[in-house]
Amino acid sequence: MTQIQSKGPFVSQTIMTVDDSPSMRMLLRAALTDMGYQVLEAEDGVHALDTLDGVTPETAPDLVITDINMPRMDGFGLIEALRRQPGHRNLPILVLTTESSDEKKARAREAGATGWIVKPFNPEKLAAAIRRVLH
Amino acid sequence: MNAMPHRPATGPIGAPVTGAFTGLAQRDGFRRINVIQGETRVSQEKDVVLTTVLGSCISACLYDPIAGVGGLNHFLLAEPGMTETDPKSMQRYGVYAMEVLINAMMALGAQRHSLKARLFGGAMMRDGFRDIGAANAQFARRFLADERIALVGEDVGGISARRVEFRPALGLARCRHVTDALPPPPRIARPTPPPAATGDVEFF
Repeated sequence: MTQIQSKGPFVSQTIMTVDDSPSMRMLLRAALTDMGYQVLEAEDGVHALDTLDGVTPETAPDLVITDINMPRMDGFGLIEALRRQPGHRNLPILVLTTESSDEKKARAREAGATGWIVKPFNPEKLAAAIRRVLH
Repeated sequence: MNAMPHRPATGPIGAPVTGAFTGLAQRDGFRRINVIQGETRVSQEKDVVLTTVLGSCISACLYDPIAGVGGLNHFLLAEPGMTETDPKSMQRYGVYAMEVLINAMMALGAQRHSLKARLFGGAMMRDGFRDIGAANAQFARRFLADERIALVGEDVGGISARRVEFRPALGLARCRHVTDALPPPPRIARPTPPPAATGDVEFF
């Protein structure tokens, strides 16, 4: 399971989107697919953790983009849970949310988020942020 | 004349306003709050009435009957006569405007799967322009269908402005068509500006 980050050069990278809004997931899927990424979707934190439990090294995401306000488990809970798992300690996690308060950003930073993006997203800025965290 | 309720300056959609609306003018025992373009208001207080006047703009009145929480927004995705706006960008903005409302309601205990919706507005306010009101209404209907939120009523399209009154805690809505003289028909509004930080990226 240590091969997660070492996909061949011809395999496109996978991004997991976590958002309780189907409309938002569709918008993200369209944008990320246009950028050439594979997309894996989850509708809240619990669903994201369950999905990650079931992935193979080939289908494991290289990046998670998560909303904050979600039922069952919110974005903060998801980030904290992922950072407790050794296999996901270095997985880049970008928060994508309508929120922009310093207090919530600080909470995400403490939980272990890689970055914070304010909705509505701009595809060019999103693409640049993804390239930066995926290396 | 009745005293006007507090009207914040027009601006981008910001933090939705919740909680106690103290110090507002009361009449008929109701507290009326006028919601202007770009604003979102939610409440679970039975004596609160949210009011708004719509031309080509759209208001979604959402209500969770189990939690007794409701709210409305007031937005416009594009303006006649503008240079062609990127439809995907309009869609991203519309989804954002709806999410701000839904998140604010969830913060008061609403559940996404219990939500019911009414749509108002989307009129064609001027001849000779493409019917942006209809495009706004179409976006809102599509959004609700995608989100599986039940659309239980609507009064959209046509050529007249509307005055909407919504009691968020009870889900009761009333929509009257506004005739020429009273009150002044709304100007053709500019698209609601996104918040200043739109799309901004910050790395930790």
